[in-house]
Amino acid sequence: MRDRKLLLDCLSPLIVCILVPSGTMPAAEKVWPYSAPVDAEPPRVEKSEWISNGIDNFILRKLEEKGVEPAPEASRRTLIRRVTFDLVGLPPTPEEVDAFLADKDPKAYSRLVDRLLGDSRYGERWGRFWLDLARYADTAGLEGDPDMPHAWRYRDYVIDAFNADKPYDQFIKEQIAGDEFHEEMGAGPLPNPEPEHTVALTFLRLAPFSEPRGDETRHELLSEMTSTVGSVFLGLTVGCAKCHDHKYDQIPIRDFYRMQAFFSTVWMPRPDPGDTYQLGGPLPAEFYRPGEKEWAEKLSAKYTKEHEAAQKEFEQHRDELKEKFKQTGKEAKFFYKVLRDPKNDIFTAGEVRRLDELSSRANLLKQQVQRLRPVAMSVRHSYGPPYEPGVPTTRVMIRGEYDNPGEIVKAGFLAAIEGDEKPAKIRLDPFKRWPTRSRRMALAQWIASNENPFTARVMANRLWHWHFGQGIVATPSDFGELSGGPSHPQLLDWLAHRFVEAEWSMKAMHQLIVNSSTYRQASRVENQTAFELDPDNRLFWRFRRKRLEGEAIRDSVLAVSGRLNPEQFGLPIFPALPGDLAETVKYSESKWNTQRGPEARKRSVYIYQQRTLNMPMLDAFDAMVCETSRDRRRSSVTSLQALEMYNGDFVNEEARHFAERIRKEGGSDPESRIHRAFELALGRPPTGEELTKIRGFLEFSGSEKDSDDGLSGLCRILLNSNEFVYVD
Amino acid sequence: MAKKIAKRMIDEIQQERTILASHLSSRRDFLSRSWNGIGALGMGGLLAEDLAAASPPRVNPLEVRLPHIRRKAKHCIFLFMAGGVSQMDSFEYKPTLNKLHGKPLPSNQDVSGELQGRLSFEHVCIGSPFKFKKYGQSERYFSELFPNLGEHADDLAFIHGIKTDNQNHGPSTLHVTTGDQFPGSPSVGSWINYGLGSPNQSMPGYTVIQDPRGSPTNGAAVWSNGFLPAAYQGTLLRGKGVPILNLNRPRELSQAQQRRELDMLKWLNEQHRAERPGATELEARINAYELAFRMQTEAPELVDLSSEPEHTRELYGLDQPHTADFGRQCLLARRLVEKGVRYSLVIHGVQIGRNSWDHHGNVKNHMIRMTAEVDQPISALLTDLKQRGLLEDTLVVWASEMGRTPFKNGKLDPTPGREHNSYALAMWMAGGNVKGGTTAGETDEFSLRSVGEPIHVRDVHATILSLMGLDDQILTYLHAGRFRRLTDIGGKVLNEIIA
Repeated sequence: MRDRKLLLDCLSPLIVCILVPSGTMPAAEKVWPYSAPVDAEPPRVEKSEWISNGIDNFILRKLEEKGVEPAPEASRRTLIRRVTFDLVGLPPTPEEVDAFLADKDPKAYSRLVDRLLGDSRYGERWGRFWLDLARYADTAGLEGDPDMPHAWRYRDYVIDAFNADKPYDQFIKEQIAGDEFHEEMGAGPLPNPEPEHTVALTFLRLAPFSEPRGDETRHELLSEMTSTVGSVFLGLTVGCAKCHDHKYDQIPIRDFYRMQAFFSTVWMPRPDPGDTYQLGGPLPAEFYRPGEKEWAEKLSAKYTKEHEAAQKEFEQHRDELKEKFKQTGKEAKFFYKVLRDPKNDIFTAGEVRRLDELSSRANLLKQQVQRLRPVAMSVRHSYGPPYEPGVPTTRVMIRGEYDNPGEIVKAGFLAAIEGDEKPAKIRLDPFKRWPTRSRRMALAQWIASNENPFTARVMANRLWHWHFGQGIVATPSDFGELSGGPSHPQLLDWLAHRFVEAEWSMKAMHQLIVNSSTYRQASRVENQTAFELDPDNRLFWRFRRKRLEGEAIRDSVLAVSGRLNPEQFGLPIFPALPGDLAETVKYSESKWNTQRGPEARKRSVYIYQQRTLNMPMLDAFDAMVCETSRDRRRSSVTSLQALEMYNGDFVNEEARHFAERIRKEGGSDPESRIHRAFELALGRPPTGEELTKIRGFLEFSGSEKDSDDGLSGLCRILLNSNEFVYVD
Repeated sequence: MAKKIAKRMIDEIQQERTILASHLSSRRDFLSRSWNGIGALGMGGLLAEDLAAASPPRVNPLEVRLPHIRRKAKHCIFLFMAGGVSQMDSFEYKPTLNKLHGKPLPSNQDVSGELQGRLSFEHVCIGSPFKFKKYGQSERYFSELFPNLGEHADDLAFIHGIKTDNQNHGPSTLHVTTGDQFPGSPSVGSWINYGLGSPNQSMPGYTVIQDPRGSPTNGAAVWSNGFLPAAYQGTLLRGKGVPILNLNRPRELSQAQQRRELDMLKWLNEQHRAERPGATELEARINAYELAFRMQTEAPELVDLSSEPEHTRELYGLDQPHTADFGRQCLLARRLVEKGVRYSLVIHGVQIGRNSWDHHGNVKNHMIRMTAEVDQPISALLTDLKQRGLLEDTLVVWASEMGRTPFKNGKLDPTPGREHNSYALAMWMAGGNVKGGTTAGETDEFSLRSVGEPIHVRDVHATILSLMGLDDQILTYLHAGRFRRLTDIGGKVLNEIIA
């Protein structure tokens, strides 16, 4: 009550008015989602032969209550396509499909799942989902959209974490408090964090940022960390309480600042010289991945050499132009002014263009060298007095304004979960040398604890969401009042318990989910009763057909054409952009460095994430570069997608290579070629009717003047078909 | 005042709760109502969110929806001048400044933030080098830089002393175009398309015609759909060559062959769909291909200005080098209105450098050059729309991202410029339901800032929505735990400029 009074005193009357309808403190009895998950026995069901694991009991029980039949199991052909896209984000090869169909072992499917989970392409697909949550980008956004040359190392860290099945609790701690792992014992220097942990902390630096403005920027950055950590790990829109008590959930404004207080000793290195937008410097982080150090050194030496040559070439050309200018007798200081005047009669357009090209090439090479430094875009805790700032006083900032301080708060966990507002126990350095340390670790440990009612539930729901296209809670980053609640609360709790029991292994959860009968249901089913009762399929009475994400579409096109570059990890890639797009939206520091070779055909997760420039193809399919944490992808249908897929350079070029591949692999007979094309693109042979129709189509096309044998056309059609982008 | 606001906020909370309750209690019933178009009246946010969660798109996102309020305007053309136009050299006659020319501002200016910062440095006032003249029955002053626009004085409603929250180009541009200074929020055109749909289904409902010399600050974030579905983002009509990306079929493909291929594709897709009953998303995708094919014919016709008569070319100044580009942009905007495109964003100026309105130096010469590029085309657009009877269906908005200061920092020099001023943006509107010849807001005698309570840019947004028949309190979208809207905490409609 005293706290409440304090709050009332401090806040303006305006805020008080808002408090009245919503701001009551949590009641003694905690309700979902603040209550601990209950580990209930999977309920009894009638049709027990349908059950593969506990998931199915919960799903079937609800269906039986409503009198709805689950869908029959999908065909094996459908299953291998579904689970391969689902786990590695690429289509199965025709050979993989045949082998699976021929495998009569009852365990064939679960062996397939194990194989896919052991495939390193799994991390590229599932890491991408996490990168969405982490609002990952390679540029800082906002004015100037400057390059963040080392952000890519975080992307590789995430892919590794998924592939290695890094326990989720560890994954959380590394990203929130990677610099605070070592316990301090006695005298001696502060141990350096593991390079991998330094890279993991990039998570806290991915907010859009440029041009700092003192206290205001610090306030905004710490607030962004608070909201992002809240929504990503806790599934609570904590950020809504930055300016006022949460309108719907039990998060008063005090709690926002109590949570923000854990971040109060975050320290960012000051900007390096030449950092025009003052992003702040990186922190040392040796290359730690196997072979990475040698790779980086070799590549860096190559780019350094190329840069020197390019710089020389640029200077030479510039000096030539300067000399030419001098000849006209004009004053040297007007050189650039005249050069930039399109109406000048001294320099030809070609000369100016060449100067720009040379300068841009030199800059881009320099940027590549920069990217290969053994550093990370990271944070650490301040070293505290007498070297750096100590632990500052955190206050509630009224209306979220940086210069409007209210009452003082101490770092503490959300009251709605804890039941009280006691300050958190932070294990301080017993020798008092580093009093600024361990604050974020305290928060990370609380989040990553088996007892936190949100953490396991939220992540289990995310995994479910990505597998089924719909979460048990429909809004994975918001478990609050506006989520509409879980469709299967007991199932979610059960999953949360299995997750903790499996020591936070995500791969164990994948296994559980994709081996369930629920997951293996057909999507193609006519069930009028079910459809009328539950048109959104929230009861999971069939599998939800999914449109592939933009990345998966691009990757699949390349896989089918046979041109996907399987190389993993490394520097961001820059595939060609249509038209003059690379030129129209440009900032000098994050310019699109178009690559034409095979490096540009690596998987989409490696594409440079430039916040002011979405690749049109990915953009059209809802795979925009992140500004803020994103928990779901849309699956829109627009005509611009059709233009992109049908007329765009990328698909047409790959369709030609696809046709070439068919000519090589499909024999000389048109029928066997059509077979091969269908199997590569759609994972099935054509039907008799399709075969007849397409034969006719090919013959007609072949007879046309100036046309190839029609195969490119067929390939274009297949890549554009609904079956290619929608997975049953 | 505070009490009033508080009451409104409580009302809002209650209103949102009612919407929420209807959502949670009878989701199915609610959804079915939405399909009939009733849901679009105010609960569009939930509708779209449901569609996003339930991946099959059930309705065409650009389907025409009823407005919330009865209004005449059906289209909007938003003319955006990138860089920060100097208001006291264009539409604000401030003779006091000429008297103060070369001297600092009187020191009792009650300002804060960036302005306070600028004024704490050495500065000198800069009187406008331009003559002003009264136009129309409304006797409104225009500087000599806008002789053509001046003739439309009685059709224009001005708003003065608009405040944005940041005086840097990046954030303030986004603030004016999306209602939020940070990237990631939907732009005005996205909100309007989301609220109203678009009458022409063969063209995108929201087109962007940018300056052929380059992009504004933030690039595509200026016409972003933000957290709204992708169908609501602005489609860039390209300045040169093919107007829409990937509009042309591959070079090696004849039109007949393309049609044959599309027929083959359609047949395959129909076979596929027949085995998957109730899959509306598959049907939507089949239609999307047909639409794309129609767009291939329609869009090039639309941007082909060769059919325009000589007098129209002359009106817009298409044959004069300084007006040719923006003239073409404005003429395109009119043609888009005729074709039923809901919203066009027309941008003049680029982010930085010579072709921006950001005149820190030599404001005189730069303003002469830049206004010469736009005065005739804008005036032509208004004349043309009026002659065709389209002006009353079309809201025309003119804006920049901020105003400029009455002073320059440092010492007086022969070619002075002006600094950024996020307290004194001037805008005007015309057409639709705008009451011509009226004014909202007023700046002080220096054009430094608003006299009295400033008009915030969200008030302008509320007004634009209202003129288009939308209520900013109702046009919401549930995102990241909040019902988001263009005006964030809500804007005040400027009724004084509405007919």
